[in-house]
Amino acid sequence: PACLAAQHLIAATACQEADYGWMIRHFCLRQFQLSMEGIGQRLWCDWDETVGTYGELTNCTVLIAERLDCYWPNRLVDEFFVAVHKQYFRNCSPSGRALHDPPNGVLCPFIVLPVLVTLLMTALVVWRSKRSEGIV
Amino acid sequence: LFLSIQRIVPSLSSTVNYTGPTLEPVVTENSVIRQKIIDSQFKCYERMNRAPPYNKKGLFCNRTWDGWLCWDDTPAGRLTAQNCPDYFPDFDPTERASKYCDETGNWFRHPESNRTWSNYTLCNSFTSEKLKMAFILYYMAIVGHALSITSLLISLAIFFYFKSLSCQRITLHKNLFFSYVLNSMFTIAHLIAVVPNPGLVKRDPVSCKVLQFFHQYMLGCNYFWMLCEGIYLHTLIVVAVFAEEQRLHWYYLLGWGFPLVPASIHAVARARYFNDNCWMSVDTHLLYIVHGPVMAALLVNFFFLLNIVRVLVTKLRDTHRAESNMYMKAVRATLILVPLLGIQFVIIPWRPENRLAGEIYDYIMHILMHYQGLLVATIFCFFNGEV
Repeated sequence: PACLAAQHLIAATACQEADYGWMIRHFCLRQFQLSMEGIGQRLWCDWDETVGTYGELTNCTVLIAERLDCYWPNRLVDEFFVAVHKQYFRNCSPSGRALHDPPNGVLCPFIVLPVLVTLLMTALVVWRSKRSEGIV
Repeated sequence: LFLSIQRIVPSLSSTVNYTGPTLEPVVTENSVIRQKIIDSQFKCYERMNRAPPYNKKGLFCNRTWDGWLCWDDTPAGRLTAQNCPDYFPDFDPTERASKYCDETGNWFRHPESNRTWSNYTLCNSFTSEKLKMAFILYYMAIVGHALSITSLLISLAIFFYFKSLSCQRITLHKNLFFSYVLNSMFTIAHLIAVVPNPGLVKRDPVSCKVLQFFHQYMLGCNYFWMLCEGIYLHTLIVVAVFAEEQRLHWYYLLGWGFPLVPASIHAVARARYFNDNCWMSVDTHLLYIVHGPVMAALLVNFFFLLNIVRVLVTKLRDTHRAESNMYMKAVRATLILVPLLGIQFVIIPWRPENRLAGEIYDYIMHILMHYQGLLVATIFCFFNGEV
């Protein structure tokens, strides 16, 4: 009996995963849903519009983790955010806001064109200097 | 090229404190850092959503976001690693952060706190030494360019003062030296005004992008004037065989006018597709818009010079011996310089992994890159038989 009581005590102070899952869905997700509806579905993929709300959602999960003495992030946070992304950001481009190179179809012409023009220009100069000699 | 300096020199602000010795992510107050982390988090969950499920046999650890970096599905018993993030000033993005998936298919938990833990200790453990070395390289670069400017200005003075030296080849040398001087000046301006000044970079005024544009333009001019020298020698020796007077308009066009083309295309592409602050980032392939033509010019130059050497050796061995000697000397100087100047574009991708070898490599690369002007002045003017 004493052992069982001690076990329950330990379990009570440790992170209750079920509680955590419930709380982030009921508190954080509600707030997020309201904000996103306020922004409007058309703009869900506009990162500049949604970054604030997304940040608040993250913050909220962190605070509740602290309250319940869970560490952050954890498996439930992963599942939670994957579900949020499936629902709200499914059709968005995955690249986010960070800078990245244009796709290869655009990049290659940008690089190949100056190289070709360089070679052409060089050939032109060689040809012209040859010709000016031919006069003599 | 400031690949190593820009990679290593972090902004000169103070370091961020971590909670305790175990380096765990905590929500930080600094909003710029938070922005980067939130952005990475978003991209991570997007990737987790879109990537196909794990399809190999056996136990594995699930893909996860650990608060700083994204980790893919990893087979059990494997240590996986990726580059450290660049959120914090003292995190070195060239170091590796690692995460261990144990045999039971769970991520490694730190023994002290029993929470899932990734190893970020390598990210900031060597930073102070690297910072010191980055400063040494930085000052070396500035000194190198200053020395180059001085020696080149002296050479130009010598060429202008002694009218007897003047001929078409010397005219090309004068233009080459002048482009080196301008290049060094822009490089020093960039190193002194922009690189140590994170406030300026954050404000991102148009002037620093204009500076970058001129910097790329001058880099092009440098190498295209070397090409002009090569074309001139080639025309002189191979094509027209020692006749003196050519018209130099086309050389001026190629040397000063043409580099505007790659520089402008780079500016347009950068503004449209990769418009980072002050265009400082070297992590983009758009830089090849300028470096591609430069490499093409170096290759063409190299083949011209090989051709010249071939002609001199075969056709002029017996006849015209005195002239061929003089031209051989001229060609030898140019031939030494072309691979020397071009080597950095070939070798830079292969920095050695070993720490000591890597440092030696960095020093040598910086000497080759930043003392070029000094080298050119020395070979073409100070050691020139005619001078």
